Amino acid sequence: MNLWLELLTQPFIDYGFMRRALAGAWALSFAAGPLGVFLVLRRLSLMGDAMAHAILPGVAVGFLTAGLSLSAMTLGGLVTGVVVALLAGLVSRLTPLREDASFAAFYLVSLGLGVLLVSLRGTNMDLIHVLFGTVLGLNDAALLLVTAVSSVTLLALAALFRVLVIECLDPLFLRAEGGAGAWAHMAFLLLLVLNLVAGFQVLGTLMVVGIMMLPATAARFWVRSVGSQMILAAALGAASSYAGLLVSYYQDVPASPAIILAAGLLYFVSVAIGPHGGILQLVRQSRQRRARLLESMGS
Amino acid sequence: MRRRPARSLSAWSAAAVLVLCGAMLPRAHAQAPSDRIRVVATFSILADMVREVGGDRLDIQAIVGPNGDAHAFEPTPRDARALGAAQVLVRNGLGFEGWLPRLLDAAGFKGLDVVASDGVRPRVLGDEEQALEAHGHETHDHEPHGHGHAGDVDPHAWQDLSNGVIYVRNIARGLAAADPAHADEYRRRADAYALRLQDEDRAWRNDLEAVPPARRVMMTTHDAFGYLGQAYGIRIVSVLGLSSEAEPAAGALARIIDQIRDRGIRAMFLEKAVNPTLMRRITQETGARIGGTLYSDTLDAPGTPAGTYLGMFRWNARLILEAMRG
Amino acid sequence: MVVGQPAIELQRVWLGWRDRVAVRDASGAFEQGSLTAIVGPNGAGKSTLIKGIAGRLNPLRGRIHVGAGLARSLACLPQSAELDLAFPISTFDLVALGAWHRVGAWRGLDEAGLEGVEDALRVVGLAGLGRRPVDTLSGGQLQRALFARLMLRDARVILLDEPFSAVDRATTEDLLDLLHAWHAEGRTVIAVLHDLDIVRAYFPQTLLLAGQVVEWGATEQVLSPANLHLARHLCAGALT
Repeated sequence: MNLWLELLTQPFIDYGFMRRALAGAWALSFAAGPLGVFLVLRRLSLMGDAMAHAILPGVAVGFLTAGLSLSAMTLGGLVTGVVVALLAGLVSRLTPLREDASFAAFYLVSLGLGVLLVSLRGTNMDLIHVLFGTVLGLNDAALLLVTAVSSVTLLALAALFRVLVIECLDPLFLRAEGGAGAWAHMAFLLLLVLNLVAGFQVLGTLMVVGIMMLPATAARFWVRSVGSQMILAAALGAASSYAGLLVSYYQDVPASPAIILAAGLLYFVSVAIGPHGGILQLVRQSRQRRARLLESMGS
Repeated sequence: MRRRPARSLSAWSAAAVLVLCGAMLPRAHAQAPSDRIRVVATFSILADMVREVGGDRLDIQAIVGPNGDAHAFEPTPRDARALGAAQVLVRNGLGFEGWLPRLLDAAGFKGLDVVASDGVRPRVLGDEEQALEAHGHETHDHEPHGHGHAGDVDPHAWQDLSNGVIYVRNIARGLAAADPAHADEYRRRADAYALRLQDEDRAWRNDLEAVPPARRVMMTTHDAFGYLGQAYGIRIVSVLGLSSEAEPAAGALARIIDQIRDRGIRAMFLEKAVNPTLMRRITQETGARIGGTLYSDTLDAPGTPAGTYLGMFRWNARLILEAMRG
Repeated sequence: MVVGQPAIELQRVWLGWRDRVAVRDASGAFEQGSLTAIVGPNGAGKSTLIKGIAGRLNPLRGRIHVGAGLARSLACLPQSAELDLAFPISTFDLVALGAWHRVGAWRGLDEAGLEGVEDALRVVGLAGLGRRPVDTLSGGQLQRALFARLMLRDARVILLDEPFSAVDRATTEDLLDLLHAWHAEGRTVIAVLHDLDIVRAYFPQTLLLAGQVVEWGATEQVLSPANLHLARHLCAGALT
């Protein structure tokens, strides 16, 4: 028993970078999980990834003007993300184009612009990877950033919870009651951009979107209410981070993909055996229904 | 008279097409023969050497300029035009310029092709160096990377000054072939330059004598200093994969930290434009410091200390010595 | 709320979109405490009119005047297709939303408030189903829940757009009783309906719409065969 405990905890005890990686990943999970649940409920699941590409020109401009400055890149990414979200929302409200198509158009333009800007700098393609960090390299500033963003996000979500729920469920009702649904939606997108931007620089692209969506999609197979889904998503994200880091340590595989694959594994398990809509459950229920039908016919 | 609009239209079209084709034909050297030889070097280090040997007689252009990354280079139409108009091409060889064959095709180069590393005894990556593989394989969908894997030839031969001398002599020979009228001059200049390189080599070896053998170890993120290590008896701990793209495995990172602690490595060196966050993390955790930025396969801008080949070598040497002395 | 003043007044109202006018030049008044049905053939503009009254659509021309103090006390039940039923919320919570106007975005319901929700569920015949998620409710049960929400909303003016369209007979009758009860409490009720039997049986006032007001007044008068015939013609004309 002792050996197991040692195996599970020793790497974090011995190495500072492991501890920081865990702290950063957990901070991200606690905020990204709940956000992801809302994205799934609003049928905006792909927006996380799209937004990730949309903020590129802003981060690039930040880098080009101020070098490897966390604040410059964060600001740049934030501004671009907000602008894209606002423009997409505006176009979808004023024209027949729906929000997802409108957003797709804007993020693609943004991405093209970002690639162009990066290439203008010269032939050094490595530049683009300087912009995105890795969970194993968290320094104080980055850790502080992601923790601060996470706290702000959780507070904001708590305050906006009811409004966001109704905005998803019955936006007309909300509008009739004067509930400022559009503002809440904007605030939500702002939180999304904030988390993505902070997350990219400290944890890399793959991990942020992954830790946002995978636990959220897994959570709905275990619990029903929105609140419980959010809590479970955060917990699943934290668990995946822990497991992924351990695998990266013992099995010599890169850290971010390991974390994402751990989250993916949890998702598949949830799909298979989750009590709410899981495949096993559905099979069992259909068998029961058939049994009952046969029974009622036979008697 | 009956009008034949169709026929006159097709006649005009044919004429237009012919004119267009004619305009697109590769132009023979239509410019007046200038007295300067047009030389294109693949990257800044070679360009500097060519300048030393050829001086004012040459019109030199480098494809990958100062502070550029020759490994991940993507040629542009401008490069193709420059190459097409050149009379001499000086390249490194040893697989350094993965993008060159396609560029040569596109440019229609017909001049003299000088391989600077002709005659160099190549070393193989993974030889004698403790390259800690910290990552899996990153993939790119453009030209194959210069970052090779164990078993590939290491192209960075110029890190050994005696190879630099070989480069210089090859360049001189090439220039003499392209411009026989001034062959003597090229040879003289090459000899003078070679002497300076050999002086620097001696001075460096002297300095190294003063460092106890146990301390002759350096850690860097790039696999570019193999020849340096081999020639001057320095053990290179090269942390592959802590460079730009890929992310290391946590286990490998832990082992690197252990190695640094065990061997008492005092300083690590960054590559230009490499993600420094991981390196900084390592320094904070081990107490080793970042010894500065070394120049591995490019020069700095002209006029700066590392703007010439010799200058670059001296710059690297100084930093490495400081790091080893602790 | 001023006594004698109509709850809702239409003053030469045109409603529609940039490329299509749905309601032309409608004028008239819904008196306070009236129980009015809006009927008409397909494409008559009934839903558009309700949207206009509810404030979700601005008139192209003319004015919709809502009586003093009533604008805040106006509740609308749109066609249920506009809810995202897959959303994981319990029936209790859905009904409790009706108390939003009292409680807002952050405060919770007190004891009395919670009891109010239970009462509403009981009145509409959904007692004990509070825990069930909304996506497990049948069409009839969902409609009952939405009526319960309206109860909590405690509005003086209630607008309904086809409230019985996807609902069984038993539910329809129960809900009609509820409408009646509201009417008895002095609330103004306006409902878009297509079942003329129900209108004749339960609604004293009717507005017959066919792209424009055909007639508006006592149900018996409005639903004369001549008027119905005229309405059908007007709508057919509008469609060609």
